[in-house]
Amino acid sequence: MAPVFALEPLSNAVIGLAGAVILLAVFLILQRSVSELRRRRTSRREPLLTKLLYDALQSSPVCPEPLLRLDRGDRKLLRSILLRLALDLRGETGEAISELYRVLGFLERDLAGLGSRCASTRAHAAADLGLTRSPEAIPGLLKAMNDGDVRVRQTAVWAVGQVDDPSILNGLVRLLGDRNRLVAQRAQEVLAERGREVADAIVAYAETTSSRSGRLAAIELIGWLRLTPGADLLLEFMGDLDPEVRVKSVKAAAAIGDPRFLESFSTGLGDSSWAVRCQAAKGLSLYGSPDTVPGLTRALRDRHWWVRFYAATALAEAGSFGAEALQEALQDPEPPVRDMARYLLERAQLVPALP
Amino acid sequence: MTRSMLEVILGWYTGFMLIFFFAINSYYLVLTIAGFWRTIRVFKEVRRPDQRRLLRSPLTPPVSVLAPAFNEEANVVENVRSLLMLDYPLFEVILVNDGSSDDTLGRLVDAFDLRRSARTFDPALASKPIRAIYESPSYPGLVVVDKVNGGKADALNAGLNLSLYPIFCAIDADSILESDALLRLVRPFVDSPGVTIAAGGVVRVANGCDVRSGQVRRVHLPRRSLPLVQIVEYLRAFLFGRMGWSTGNSLLVISGAFGLFEKRAAILAGGYATDSVGEDMELVVRMHRYRREARQPYRIGFVPDPICWTEVPENLRVLRRQRTRWQRGLIDTLLRHRAMIARPRYGTVGMMSLPGFLMFEMISPLVELSGYLLLPVLWMLGLINASIAVAFLTLAILYMILISALAVLLEDIVFRRYPRILDLGRLLIGAVLENFGYRQLTVWWRVRAFWEYWRGDLSWGVMERRGMGARAG
Repeated sequence: MAPVFALEPLSNAVIGLAGAVILLAVFLILQRSVSELRRRRTSRREPLLTKLLYDALQSSPVCPEPLLRLDRGDRKLLRSILLRLALDLRGETGEAISELYRVLGFLERDLAGLGSRCASTRAHAAADLGLTRSPEAIPGLLKAMNDGDVRVRQTAVWAVGQVDDPSILNGLVRLLGDRNRLVAQRAQEVLAERGREVADAIVAYAETTSSRSGRLAAIELIGWLRLTPGADLLLEFMGDLDPEVRVKSVKAAAAIGDPRFLESFSTGLGDSSWAVRCQAAKGLSLYGSPDTVPGLTRALRDRHWWVRFYAATALAEAGSFGAEALQEALQDPEPPVRDMARYLLERAQLVPALP
Repeated sequence: MTRSMLEVILGWYTGFMLIFFFAINSYYLVLTIAGFWRTIRVFKEVRRPDQRRLLRSPLTPPVSVLAPAFNEEANVVENVRSLLMLDYPLFEVILVNDGSSDDTLGRLVDAFDLRRSARTFDPALASKPIRAIYESPSYPGLVVVDKVNGGKADALNAGLNLSLYPIFCAIDADSILESDALLRLVRPFVDSPGVTIAAGGVVRVANGCDVRSGQVRRVHLPRRSLPLVQIVEYLRAFLFGRMGWSTGNSLLVISGAFGLFEKRAAILAGGYATDSVGEDMELVVRMHRYRREARQPYRIGFVPDPICWTEVPENLRVLRRQRTRWQRGLIDTLLRHRAMIARPRYGTVGMMSLPGFLMFEMISPLVELSGYLLLPVLWMLGLINASIAVAFLTLAILYMILISALAVLLEDIVFRRYPRILDLGRLLIGAVLENFGYRQLTVWWRVRAFWEYWRGDLSWGVMERRGMGARAG
């Protein structure tokens, strides 16, 4: 049989591979040693730099003189300390951090980073600008919200939301219907924290937008933020043809708990979508009213477990009338109804726990 | 058979082996490059504010943590405590006592002031009868289910029925999650809600670590070589294998010790298969199949940074049981879903990962073992030059060492869980040691698994644990 391999190329391959393994091992040890040295330097310099930083922040106006004389390594470390502090501190100290960040030239560097060719650099620059909450960064960040790279866009949306300027939040409301889901979600997250400042814009957007996903996101925000100006709109949406719009609207309405919703919730118990029936039962639990009992008692026999669960929960919270209905359900011929009633009564400590 | 015929047959087989050798090494190379690239990329994307954002975001979905337990009385209380301390906005812990014969349930009842509950549930998946459900007034997020023994898959199905939230996390009751592991792992679900149906996380070896109060306090390497070698193996498997496959949405395995799933997607796919010993892989493949057949967009992701710590076998007997079980699970899953293999309808899963697993995970031990047996025969028959054979073996070993060393490098650049420089040296030694004895043993066990599978062996075997509360050496 002819040999498939000659020895020489095989030996060369072995030597080459052995060399690669040795080089890799040496590189591994070297890179660890270098980063260990860096770590030690960091732990040595950090307390000193933090002290200098605090001194600079506490002086009014911010006095960066000693910090301007630092070498490159210390400046890098200083920047990371500032960003860490910016993450936790707001108010006057936050403003002082932002000012110091600008004076030390880091802001300018980040703004330049927004124009980088590398998407990752642009995204990191946007994130850092968001942390510092500097108003000077707004034009650059607004531009970055239209970046071609989705990571940059979503980071810019988040960063814009960090700056204390309500006027730009209106721009974020429009992004709720963005074609890119990640960008839309980020806008929704920012508005979930600060959306009260632009409540009217959110309600108006929910009413007028042609984007289905945007409308759904706005309805969710109305519920999360309990925006009472959106109550009328929710009442209207609870009769929408789209079951998802109905579900989100009923859920949002249940979060707001306006007395006007009572009738719609009762109607919702008969909806064709189990998710709507579920949320309607959940909504009715807010009222604790005897008027809700007949509908909820019927819902206790729903074929869907979750509807039965929320109906029973609502009954347990509906005072003595609800408890009575649950007690009666203990005699129901259907085991799932009996079991659910027993569980909720037990949770409300109205029947003794199982032995 | 004449000698010349034998020579021809052996010649052909040697040719096949060489082709296989290049194919498997190319396979590893591609996975290594893909895993390296993706891990670095994900690592660069994740920043500190991101964790906070997820903690506060109303879009972060609530999670049910399902932990099946069988005879875990030694660690169960500590482990449940550590689960209850996870940093996550809204979650529940459902521990399923799968008919333990020890005092697992009693310890839980005492430690958490558990009371019998009349809690009902939607029996979407079949499971063995539930004897009782316990809840605690002091720990509202904890539910303990006591059921008749039915195996891990059955216990997970029972837990799934009881879970209230849309996402569930399947873990082993003896595993330890880092406090923010869930928050990191949920990222794909937040980024692509409704599209992400499952996500896996990295599992690390806890042997040797300082574990107290259900948390890994300090990371150390074990003194024994067997767990040390497994650390290198786990690094390679998770950082390259799983990360690599996740690149093309073709990940087939999410470890049973730590995975996050969309509940609806898992139930629609039929839940965990109770007649499989590789229930974790089987579910993932079935979820792929269901979605591809329904032509629904989906994503199964893998996140390299969340960390779950688990104890690995410290003796050969237990290791053998574990490895034969894994191989039986692999064979079982691939045979069950053989209709997907090489079918374009199943996309990258059907055309790449399943054939890859078939060739290089399932069949490769048979080829490798035949290679070990064939070399001396070829040499004795004078059909191969001894120097070439040795050079060839050395090449194969060096290649594996190189890939393991790359895994150690990636770990060190991105995670650096092993703090001492000496640890790096020991990990590299582990990468070398693995090729002398350990690898051949695991190959032999994996070949034996074919025989066990043929006999219909569905046993799990018992994992003997030293207990993570004590320093394992």
